[in-house]
Amino acid sequence: MNLIVCVKEIPDPETPASAFAIDPEAKRAIPAKDTPPVISPFDEQAVEAALRMKDELGGKVTVLSMGAPSAEKVLKHTLSMGADEAFLLNDGAFDNPDSTSTAYALAQAIKKVGEYDIVFCGRQAGDFDAGQVGSGIAESLGIPSVTVVKKIDVSDGKARVERVLPDGYEVVEVSLPALVTVSSELGEPRYATLKGIMAAAKKTVPVWNTQEIGAESSKVGASGARTKIQKLFIPVRESKCEMLEGENEEEAASKLALKLREVKLI
Amino acid sequence: MALNFDLTEEQNLTRQAVRDFAEKEIAPVAQLLDEREEFSVELTRKMAEIGLLGCCVPEKYGGSNIGYTSYIIAVEELARVDGSQAATIAAANSLGIGPIYQFGNEKQREEWLPRLCSGDILAAFGLTEPEAGSDAGSSQTRAELRGDHWVINGSKIFITNSACSLTGVIIVQAITGRRGDGKLEVSCLLVPADAAGLTAREMKGKMMWRASNTGELFFDDCAVPEVNLLGKRGDGFHQMLSTLDRGRLSIAAMGLGGSQGAFELAVQYANSRVQFGRPISSFQVNAFKLADMALEIELARNLLYKACWLLENERPFTVEAAMAKLYCSEVMHRCVHHAVQLHGGYGLMKDYRVERMYRDQRLLEIGEGTSEVLRIIIARNIGIAGRAM
Ligand SMILES: Cc1cc2nc3c(=O)[nH]c(=O)nc-3n(C[C@H](O)[C@H](O)[C@H](O)COP(=O)(O)OP(=O)(O)OC[C@H]3O[C@@H](n4cnc5c(N)ncnc54)[C@H](O)[C@@H]3O)c2cc1C
Repeated sequence: MNLIVCVKEIPDPETPASAFAIDPEAKRAIPAKDTPPVISPFDEQAVEAALRMKDELGGKVTVLSMGAPSAEKVLKHTLSMGADEAFLLNDGAFDNPDSTSTAYALAQAIKKVGEYDIVFCGRQAGDFDAGQVGSGIAESLGIPSVTVVKKIDVSDGKARVERVLPDGYEVVEVSLPALVTVSSELGEPRYATLKGIMAAAKKTVPVWNTQEIGAESSKVGASGARTKIQKLFIPVRESKCEMLEGENEEEAASKLALKLREVKLI
Repeated sequence: MALNFDLTEEQNLTRQAVRDFAEKEIAPVAQLLDEREEFSVELTRKMAEIGLLGCCVPEKYGGSNIGYTSYIIAVEELARVDGSQAATIAAANSLGIGPIYQFGNEKQREEWLPRLCSGDILAAFGLTEPEAGSDAGSSQTRAELRGDHWVINGSKIFITNSACSLTGVIIVQAITGRRGDGKLEVSCLLVPADAAGLTAREMKGKMMWRASNTGELFFDDCAVPEVNLLGKRGDGFHQMLSTLDRGRLSIAAMGLGGSQGAFELAVQYANSRVQFGRPISSFQVNAFKLADMALEIELARNLLYKACWLLENERPFTVEAAMAKLYCSEVMHRCVHHAVQLHGGYGLMKDYRVERMYRDQRLLEIGEGTSEVLRIIIARNIGIAGRAM
């Protein structure tokens, strides 16, 4: 099996909003200096999904990331988990992309990798939570995609995929090659192992630019973006505390229940 | 241009990986294991799975071979979260696996290392005896060669990883005769945990490292095959000194990691605790405590990494290892003291991680050479008149 995973480097999602500054002109969120960049959590689960498939069926796991040079660290992390090779898409022309131009660039890179059976993405990136790049890549490659996946089984050139629904899951059968976006229900990703780290440190991560992935410069980065951020701001959250009194526990509980119903929480 | 403080990519990735593991797997259970005084087989196996056993052993024996500095960084990251798990790993690598790899013959390496590196079993190092602590030379456990077996009689005390269900083999230092010059001949023997005549009793009621296994061992005509001799007959004393030199670096790593952990908790707490309308960290007396901690941690790290660098570059490192162990453990003493002080009453409660760190620190000034013994070792090597003792 030839398996490709797309991963994104993001500021640690555990970081509180107060640690970010907003540049209202450039419409960019600037994390505090000591915010560590990490792999987007759903993407780490996409790597896990690919590695589980490799454990079961054999093959090769290739990881791609479009981002800053620092994203090499994220790629090395995936190599330490057990991925076989990794490539970084880095070029000034890729800067300030939206979902469309990101999907286009990644699809071009996937074509450059060549053979593939399944492309794995996270269900959404842990920073902007748009969740569109996966489907965009599939569209660009002209292959089927299944989103929000928790389990994938391959047999006879087809994949049987469990897709998470609000109240359960549905089973989808899809021909290969296909793209899946992986959800947290897949289970915990494995840890990087020290042996994996030794192997990862010996590998280099080649960097590809616009030309090398055979992309048109008008379609990547800001030039290829079809959406515009109108305003970027940190929303103000307000909370209010109301104490409910009651003669006894039952009365207090029923008042609470009525109140919750009133504000449509139950 | 030779001086360079950059860590390698492997070393940085090791720190990141072990920190991630420790935060997710150890932090959530450390308090409970401490409270129950429970050694966790499950957690030990998980640590083995990511490669924390056999850190300095080649892959052909199942090791992860990450190099000594990376190993030290791994122990540091474990100790940042929990002293007990750091102790299990440090003792297993430095005192158990280390001597078997360093001094064992090919057959012994092949027999023991793969199972030790996979976490199937643990190895322990039995030196200390009830009557022989700092004065290791006065040990009384004897092994006599009868036919093709060594027959061991005596006892050992305070032996890490020696009395749990994972204990597989114990390296036992014993008197095996007299040398030509009349001095005692000391050798090390590999004693399987299930050897007849060996009784291991878990020592309970520890103040610190409560989730690490400590055992007391009794040898009553305990017989092991002659081939279980580790290295050469009569090399035991030298093997012990060399093992302790290396082991001290991992105790130092526990001091450094523990200091770092206590420092981070102290900063977090002092920034969020408000008294007199201000975070307590904004009072200069408290900020200066934190500044002192940061300063000493920086010094401790530089000293320890330099000692590791000496080892990895095959230079003499005995004195620097003694200095690093002494300094890092005493820095942690001061760091946990400050950290508890900054936590006020809460720092004395078991619900706060810093309370456990305060207790766990105490061993570091005692195990593998007390601070007094380490000062003796340093004093003997700085050109002062007489033999400091
Ligand atoms: C949790 C734990 C785990 C351990 N794990 C192991 C293990 O895996 N393997 C192993 O072999 N041992 C192990 N030990 C034993 C440990 O190394 C000894 O406790 C240590 O060497 C000190 O010996 P002692 O306890 O007999 O103290 P003593 O040697 O009796 O020392 C008592 C005090 O006297 C001081 N003192 C002694 N001699 C001198 C001197 N000449 N000058 C000045 N002061 C002196 C000491 O510094 C100390 O303050 C462990 C101990 C503990 C508590």
